[in-house]
Amino acid sequence: MIPGASGTGGNRYEGPDIGAGEDRMSSTSISPHIPDLNLITYFAETKKSVFTRMSPWTKGCLLVFVVLLVTVSRSLLLLIGLYIAVLLLYLIAGLPAGKLLAWYLLPAVFVLSLVGLLMWSEPGIPILSWTVGAFTLSLSDNGVLLVGTLLIKALITVTFSLFFLMTTRYQHFAGMISRIFPAPLDQIFLMAYRFLFLTLAMTSALFKSVRSRGGGLMHSLRMQGRLFAGVFTLIFIRSFERGERVHKAMIARGFTGSYPLSGEVPRPKIAEYGLLVVTGALVTVAVILSPYRGW
Amino acid sequence: MTIIRRNPDAPHCPPVDRDRELIHVDCASHTYPDGSVGIHDMCFHVLKNEIVAICGPNGSGKSTLIEHLNGLLLPSLGTIWVNGRTISGGEQAGLWKEVGVVFQQSDDQLFAPTVLDDVMFGPLNMGLSPDEARTRAMDALGTVGAADLIHKLPNYLSGGQKRLISVAGILAMKPMVIAMDEPTSDLDPVHAAMIERIILDLRNRLGISIVIATHDMDLAARIADRICLVRNGAVFAEGAPQEIFYDPALITDAGLKLPIIVQTYLDLCDAAGIRPASCPLTSGELVAVLQNSMRKKPD
Repeated sequence: MIPGASGTGGNRYEGPDIGAGEDRMSSTSISPHIPDLNLITYFAETKKSVFTRMSPWTKGCLLVFVVLLVTVSRSLLLLIGLYIAVLLLYLIAGLPAGKLLAWYLLPAVFVLSLVGLLMWSEPGIPILSWTVGAFTLSLSDNGVLLVGTLLIKALITVTFSLFFLMTTRYQHFAGMISRIFPAPLDQIFLMAYRFLFLTLAMTSALFKSVRSRGGGLMHSLRMQGRLFAGVFTLIFIRSFERGERVHKAMIARGFTGSYPLSGEVPRPKIAEYGLLVVTGALVTVAVILSPYRGW
Repeated sequence: MTIIRRNPDAPHCPPVDRDRELIHVDCASHTYPDGSVGIHDMCFHVLKNEIVAICGPNGSGKSTLIEHLNGLLLPSLGTIWVNGRTISGGEQAGLWKEVGVVFQQSDDQLFAPTVLDDVMFGPLNMGLSPDEARTRAMDALGTVGAADLIHKLPNYLSGGQKRLISVAGILAMKPMVIAMDEPTSDLDPVHAAMIERIILDLRNRLGISIVIATHDMDLAARIADRICLVRNGAVFAEGAPQEIFYDPALITDAGLKLPIIVQTYLDLCDAAGIRPASCPLTSGELVAVLQNSMRKKPD
């Protein structure tokens, strides 16, 4: 036994402390609007709450129920209620609200890019209208409702997904993946997750290197394009080389295609089974009745 | 042991103790698909219970040789025997059980979700049951002093801890030989010393032969039983550390620098105008030599 091996070094998370520095970007975060994998994993590994003790299977099933409900529901009121409930779960779990708001930008942009044009052609009571030459653009109440409904659906899904990821230890999450997905899909996912951190760190280091020599992203469109092209080419080449090295390291330990994991995933407790039955029944009723009741 | 110098025009493998020999590389050559030569007429051997240091500058063929020992690469010419088995075409199967490789970049070696999963990867591939694999993994982690890291994610380990886990991942397979590529590169002094102690411990306590590829001459001088100097893809001289490192011309020829202890001792002798009477390689040996010489000359 070599003493002291684990006494030095230790956790290498270099991002914000919980609570203290939510407004700072972590060292590997490229933008405050892109969910920071390091921060998500950090919360999942260190934060203790009633939800971290809950079985990952329970949370996984709840996520499926939420997605089902969000898919079939058309009622804005019901969706707002669901959003408030999901947001409360997120906050009760002690997860960072400020970060969540910043991370909402991407789903919002996604929704607007999907229905940004459609909302102008929705029939209904006009709220705004512009006439440009022979064309008239009008925004109706149904157009606003469409955007609002889709936006809230996206936010519910994103919030619950983050809640799930930030309250589930990666060991358990990986165990779920290896049980749910067939090979080699599970292996691809697990390897991708592990090496995403390394790729992000590499990207961050490249951008730091650019900034440290007076470079930046805002100099000019042409320079920015060249810079991005250069950085992404390098990332691609280095990732490819890393892939080869990783494969070699796996072969050196007898890899023949299977990637067994040891981790046990905690089973749901009796109360959690009860919660799942009740929630499942409610969601089933909602799915069945939603076409008739306009839910 | 005397220094064996190889004639590049007439390569040969010197006779070795066959009973103690675990690996024998006989005039092996390897050319990569792009035409670059990895090793050329490489002669090399590993004996039971010894630490061999392959020393050479960057690009000299150290890593290529290491990959041949594990069957990751096969020689284009020449032969390699591992534990009495000739390695060729399909014959390298299972070689990974006998010769483990610790790679230079620990991040490339740690791909499993947790430390325990990673260390169990090799034993599970050997066909052991999950319980047996877990026991082996725990033993290996205990040996490197990292038993309390089992549930950690590789992302949250320091560079030194990653290296320890990489070693444990190989140790769990209980190989006869462990080959380490630059085992202390990029490590802080504390973790470098830890790795050094582990290497000695593996040889002394578990009887595992160790091959280290390094250009850290100080490390090689401290722990190796035998030094092989590599240049242009071939071993061009080998011998005991005292003989190799006290031949400055040879070290310069290899494109390397003398270990700091050796350089200091030679500088002291030079300054005092005396011929080196002994060959200290460690700070302890240097102190003993200096004390001895001070006792002889109390004035």
